[in-house]
Amino acid sequence: MNSLWNTFKKGLIIENPLLMLMIGLCSSVAVTTAVANGIGMGLAMTFVLVCAELVISIFRKLIPNDARIPIFIIVIAAFTTIVDLVMQAYFPELSKAMGVFIPLIVVNCIIMGRVEAFASKEKPLTAVVDALGMGLGYTWVLIGISTFREILGNGTFLDKQLFPDSFEPILFFTLPPGGFMVFALFIALNLWLKKITGRTAGNAIVSEKL
Amino acid sequence: MNLIKIFLSAFLIDNIVLMKFLALCPFVGMSTDVNKSIGMGLAVTFVTVLATSVTYPLYYLVLVPFNLKFLQILVFILVIASLVQLVEFFLKKNVPGLYASMGIYLTLITTNCAILGVTFNNISYKFNFIEAIVYATGTALGFMLALVLMAGIRERLRSSPVPKFLQGTPIIFAATSLLAVAFMGFANLIK
Amino acid sequence: MKKTIIRLATALTLFSAFACVALALVNFITEPAINANNAIKLKESQSQIFPEAEDFKLIENGITSSDSTVSIENAWHAVKGDASLGIIIKAKGKSYGGDAVLLIGVGTDRRITGVRVLSLNDTPGLGANATKPTYFVDRSSRTTFPGQFVGKSINDPFTVKEDVIPITASTITSKALTNIIKISAQAGSAWLEAHTAGGN
Repeated sequence: MNSLWNTFKKGLIIENPLLMLMIGLCSSVAVTTAVANGIGMGLAMTFVLVCAELVISIFRKLIPNDARIPIFIIVIAAFTTIVDLVMQAYFPELSKAMGVFIPLIVVNCIIMGRVEAFASKEKPLTAVVDALGMGLGYTWVLIGISTFREILGNGTFLDKQLFPDSFEPILFFTLPPGGFMVFALFIALNLWLKKITGRTAGNAIVSEKL
Repeated sequence: MNLIKIFLSAFLIDNIVLMKFLALCPFVGMSTDVNKSIGMGLAVTFVTVLATSVTYPLYYLVLVPFNLKFLQILVFILVIASLVQLVEFFLKKNVPGLYASMGIYLTLITTNCAILGVTFNNISYKFNFIEAIVYATGTALGFMLALVLMAGIRERLRSSPVPKFLQGTPIIFAATSLLAVAFMGFANLIK
Repeated sequence: MKKTIIRLATALTLFSAFACVALALVNFITEPAINANNAIKLKESQSQIFPEAEDFKLIENGITSSDSTVSIENAWHAVKGDASLGIIIKAKGKSYGGDAVLLIGVGTDRRITGVRVLSLNDTPGLGANATKPTYFVDRSSRTTFPGQFVGKSINDPFTVKEDVIPITASTITSKALTNIIKISAQAGSAWLEAHTAGGN
């Protein structure tokens, strides 16, 4: 139980895919101009991650080692297409706002990385927990960045206006350069978080090894 | 004229890394020095153009007539992955010198979202074949430009005092942000 | 050697066959919904532009664009009973990030009754603000970019930064969209005059 919890929580901060491992970055800057997009992208990504890790983990013994990469790609591409089609059908506005970044989940290195490094070796339950942790770690960063950018850059939160009309939004934050700047601040923030939590969590890991 | 417009807009105005946020992983990972950046840039350019010239006809001659558009993601990524394998195989056998210097970049290319992004955009922007090739070339060269510029900036950063809380990766993104501001200046380049 | 190749090939074929079947299934379920979405959205936009109209009759031909960069895809005649209310044009033209598709409504009084942006690929936070209901070009009157065209006469100059307020830092998008609106409104108005002259 304890090890499942550790598997889950490492994705949140210590091995946060975006802020620490520096993979799967593109969508985190691209779609985070509005909170709704951040949530949508986070959920879409988590769904593909969970399904891909689950399927690969179930069939891990049947996948020949030499053909594993193409098989991983096929599985990930299939789930990405499913998300893409479902979003087009039932959330057309959201799907339009994210454009090419939904199909691009297929090359998101987070999924390939987790499938290769984790799901292909672990039991289904552990793999799903890992996927949930990583997905949630990805989603919180997206929501954080997009909240920051939408409030300051557009003066709204989830499309509701927050300030009186006299407030002039800081356009910079919704523009591409603003995205990079906010992302830089979030990495700095996470490094700091890791430093404080690392003292306790780090100790736990050390004592476990002993 | 139109082709020049497409090229310039893909190369500078809508720079794939700085304005469209694609290929950020290799951008951060590979921009550590100028030579690496050029190697990666050339490899990406080659594969992007090759991938475009395969996926574009495939989409219009096979997927559309047979009503298989829903297989687009699956087919495109498999085409790119196999192309990379083929190129790697070909270089290894016939041009070992080039393989030695470019091989390591090739394996990283499959998950470079710029290439897949370009092949998708070719379709959604409704380009014709020539335009698609020009767009692919412009985009890939834009990727190389961003990488080389960043490599130069990072070389300078190494000898500059950086505020403590921005040390490491944060400062790279802060610098990228400023580079993106500079690229926004290209916005009015074409009318 | 041979055995492993066969094993690899079988595994690959099985996985891809399975993936294709699964996708075909999902596609079968979602395809009608995706197509319906577009139809619903079109219907909604049409009724917003002409709330009083009872029917939108598809106009087969007879509308031409006077600008080679703007193409008119479709047009509907908005009618209430026998009375003509106006015309809706679906037009496509180049904007900053590729093609933009707009719906433009013109009343029989030669004034624009509404503009909807159906698709636009411009920069999020800049040109793409044309599609946002919360982005106002005039914050005091809460007017959106397409909203400012309502009530505008087709004889107006349609000059960005003069009688059209641009989207901040997106002059190219503003100019491109304004041009599409102007050309389509004029074409639509010309059709109305030619075909409803007897009625009104």
